Amino acid sequence: MSAAEAISVIRVRNVLLVTMPGDPDDSTIAALQERALDAMSAEHVRGLVLDLSKVEILDSYFARTVAETAQMVGLMGGETIIAGMRPSVAITATELGVTLGRTRTVMTVDHALDLAGRELAKEKSRR
Amino acid sequence: MTLQIETQHGKRRENEHKLTPEASQELLQILVDNIKEYAILTLDPNGRVTTWTPAAERLEGYRAEEVIGKHFSIFYTKEDFEGGKCEQELEVAAREGRFEDEGWRVRKDGSRFWANVMITALRDSNGTLKGFGKVARDMTDRKQADERLRQQNRDVLEMATVPVVQVWEGILLVPLIGTLDSARTQQLMERLLQRLTETGSQVALVDITGVPTIDTQTAQHLIETIKAVRYIGADVVLTGVRPVIAQTLVHLGVDLSSATTRASLAGGLRVALDLLDLHVGAVVRDGRMLVQ
Repeated sequence: MSAAEAISVIRVRNVLLVTMPGDPDDSTIAALQERALDAMSAEHVRGLVLDLSKVEILDSYFARTVAETAQMVGLMGGETIIAGMRPSVAITATELGVTLGRTRTVMTVDHALDLAGRELAKEKSRR
Repeated sequence: MTLQIETQHGKRRENEHKLTPEASQELLQILVDNIKEYAILTLDPNGRVTTWTPAAERLEGYRAEEVIGKHFSIFYTKEDFEGGKCEQELEVAAREGRFEDEGWRVRKDGSRFWANVMITALRDSNGTLKGFGKVARDMTDRKQADERLRQQNRDVLEMATVPVVQVWEGILLVPLIGTLDSARTQQLMERLLQRLTETGSQVALVDITGVPTIDTQTAQHLIETIKAVRYIGADVVLTGVRPVIAQTLVHLGVDLSSATTRASLAGGLRVALDLLDLHVGAVVRDGRMLVQ
């Protein structure tokens, strides 16, 4: 299985749902960023839901890539929602000094899609 | 055996109580064979099994013909064997007369039991080492009971150190009382994250009313906890920030602006309810006031 195939990328309504495998290697992590940004420009999605619920181990490279990807998606006008981070991963993230800036975090993909749906509704009502 | 109670000679009476060596040997053998809880066996000076008993067979699973002549290391775990535990035990027993130990031992079928083991050096009247006597007892039940008790104690202690209470669906309360050191804040972080994910709660009220003082390090730990809680998709409201704590935090230059903080638990609860889009208010139903 190639690195890119290990990541599941599904378009759900206006967002891209990206599910990371449990123990991604460096090339898988690199593929995450590429596929997310490609989809942002090609598929005109409003943002990215990054599902980390399977991830058990976080290293500094992975953490940095997640933070950077969120920033890049932001520059392209989208929003990143991180879903399902496990307690152990969250503790590692604080130890690594990860800063997620304005990136939203939610407990489950369900919550993430709810949130994305609400944002869309807000946008429509503004128009 | 005959007991002569009435006798003229005290010496003779004493002798009457004594058994012939054969008879006493036989009685001892019956005793050794019938003791159920204790596996009694003997080893030669090199640690090879020389005698075996039914109780030893029950405990260890080997029959006499399988085990006589084998080195007693077969009763030990691989780790203990490799660590040289068997030799060490005989050494101590030879030097000090006896050796006592509790630990895991292995049965013939590979299963483990927790044993209390006593090894006694057997020396003849000249002091020559003839071998060792070994008495082993299965203490697995007691060990398990001890473990359970210890776990209960740990649970109680943990609950007392970092109590986490669900006060509403989606809201956990952590009332902290007493000084916060690094170990305790670390425990707080782990337990809080665990309980938040378990209960699917989205807001944690961390109440520090009962915390006498806060230093830079404690504040840093709290900030990290708040961050970690954010990462898993929940929020922390820090409540019970008394005037003296507020002053200390500002003087220390601790930046808590990223966290929601409130002076009272009541204020924090209001924030939590707002975050969850819950509303508390009085409604009138059937002419009666109800709190919703």
